[in-house]
Amino acid sequence: MFRLGRRYVRALISLGIGLSFLFPLYIALVTSLDTKADVFQFPPHLTLDGRLGVYVRAWNMFPWMMYFGNTLFIAFVTILIALATSVLAAYALSFIEFRGREWVFSLILVVMMIPSEAHLIPNFVILAMMNLIDTYWAQILPYGASVFGIFLLRQFFLSLPKDYWDAARIDGCGHLRYLWSVALPLSRPILFTVSLYIFIGSWNSLMWPLMVTQSHNVQPVEVALAHFLDNNSVDWRRLSAASLFTTMPVILLFLLLQRYIIRGISRGEGIQG
Amino acid sequence: MAMINEMRLARVGSGETKRRAKRRRTRKDLWTAVLFLLPSLLFLTVFVYVPSVMAFGLAFWHYHLLGVHTTWAGISNFTDALQFNLFQQSLWNTFYFAALMVPGTLILSVSIALLIQKASRYYGVIRTLILLPYATPAVGTAIGWLWIFDPTYGMANGVLHGLGLPESGWLQSPSMAMPSIAIYSLWHGVGFDVVIVMSAIAGLPKSVLEAAAMDGAGAWRRFWQVTLPLISPTIFFLVVVTTLGALQSFAQIYALTGGTGGPEYATTTSLFLIYETAFVYNHYSYASAMAVILVFVILVLTLIQRYIGKRSVFYQ
Repeated sequence: MFRLGRRYVRALISLGIGLSFLFPLYIALVTSLDTKADVFQFPPHLTLDGRLGVYVRAWNMFPWMMYFGNTLFIAFVTILIALATSVLAAYALSFIEFRGREWVFSLILVVMMIPSEAHLIPNFVILAMMNLIDTYWAQILPYGASVFGIFLLRQFFLSLPKDYWDAARIDGCGHLRYLWSVALPLSRPILFTVSLYIFIGSWNSLMWPLMVTQSHNVQPVEVALAHFLDNNSVDWRRLSAASLFTTMPVILLFLLLQRYIIRGISRGEGIQG
Repeated sequence: MAMINEMRLARVGSGETKRRAKRRRTRKDLWTAVLFLLPSLLFLTVFVYVPSVMAFGLAFWHYHLLGVHTTWAGISNFTDALQFNLFQQSLWNTFYFAALMVPGTLILSVSIALLIQKASRYYGVIRTLILLPYATPAVGTAIGWLWIFDPTYGMANGVLHGLGLPESGWLQSPSMAMPSIAIYSLWHGVGFDVVIVMSAIAGLPKSVLEAAAMDGAGAWRRFWQVTLPLISPTIFFLVVVTTLGALQSFAQIYALTGGTGGPEYATTTSLFLIYETAFVYNHYSYASAMAVILVFVILVLTLIQRYIGKRSVFYQ
């Protein structure tokens, strides 16, 4: 009886801690919906009748559709390029035997050890030399190779039974065909995980787009939101509404696809070794 | 497997043709490998390897973006940076932040993991809730926290008040601004660490823990003398990852301080200062010198961590 009670208490505390992680989002929601000029109340209370007007107003103040479009475009093109480069590199590092293979792999892993501060400014200078500042490409090309993607895919390719490849080679199958018709279809879940990480990274990136863009028509949602917060710093309701509708897409994505994210965390663990 | 393969091939052709075929295949394989690796290595060369070396070069010049008036600076950018009191303070702020984040992350993630591992029925739900912030953007989630940290009406002071403790200015107080950002960062990132600690705990040999329990070790002692040593490689991994992450933080500082790094530069980390120096004031070379110094310090710190890790981590 006593043990049962203890377990119940433990589950309750765990659930409480879990729910407390939602609190900052809940606060934003309550703030956005509160009609009183004074939104600071403790404890906050929620009323839902005809209070959604603030969302419409916040939405109409900025060309949000354009910013969403920019973010999606940047994310999808980055995903396409990074998946292509990672798949090819991971394939070479796991299915093709050549001298210096381990050395090349270490060279790629070293990237994880280099802090981003090291190449931040030269990256900007190089993009300026290429005349790409203030374009979509400045936000895409630096992420064209994904060490995380190469690492995860190589790990997966190495786990495939070697018999597949031996059998295919006996039948006269070349690397490109084997990659396209065997390795790639099998690695779909991993490709999905990598895409998801790139997508979330793209959506949440702030410093780099702040650095390389000035024009609104190439800026992503996060940068637009930062400007929005600067321009409306007194109207908490509007700020909260805009914060929520720009964050909701990643939250939904996370809720739907979290098992892929968790897989990425547990499989990517070896990368810092 | 390769052996069987070779045997199959040997049955097909004579020794001579076999060897020649193999050599041809090796050479062809090498070219395929080069071709496959080329795109990734090209991107990494242009955006990581070359720039990392270039940072040193930039730091020794007075570089202007259009290439005009670029003059040799010698080590003056470095000496200026080292004597610049704001840069000194930023280094201090950077490491102060990391020093808050590392123990905070370890204590919080291990406690949460231990707590929720027994709540098996709700484990999935709790993990979802704790991991959710990890996927969210800093600017988008800052607003709720700005409210929580509000000195007059915020919930953080509400709690302190309720406990009978003195209230704080949180993000508006120079001494509490950095801890406030650390609290936000823990909220944002600890789910990642909990997932990793959970999987380490799940992989522990049950027999050892049971044996310890049989020998009369209490839960507390079992944790310190069995569980913790067994998961020490994971703990060490978290220390390294959290340190590197903390030293490269930017978005949460920008979002929570309205892009100022204030109050009174209390949250201006080195990366923040480098960003401002280069991209707000356009002093690329000066900022590069700061970056080189920072990277050097980070590398030394990483090496020290690895040295300590090698000596104290228990590998099975």
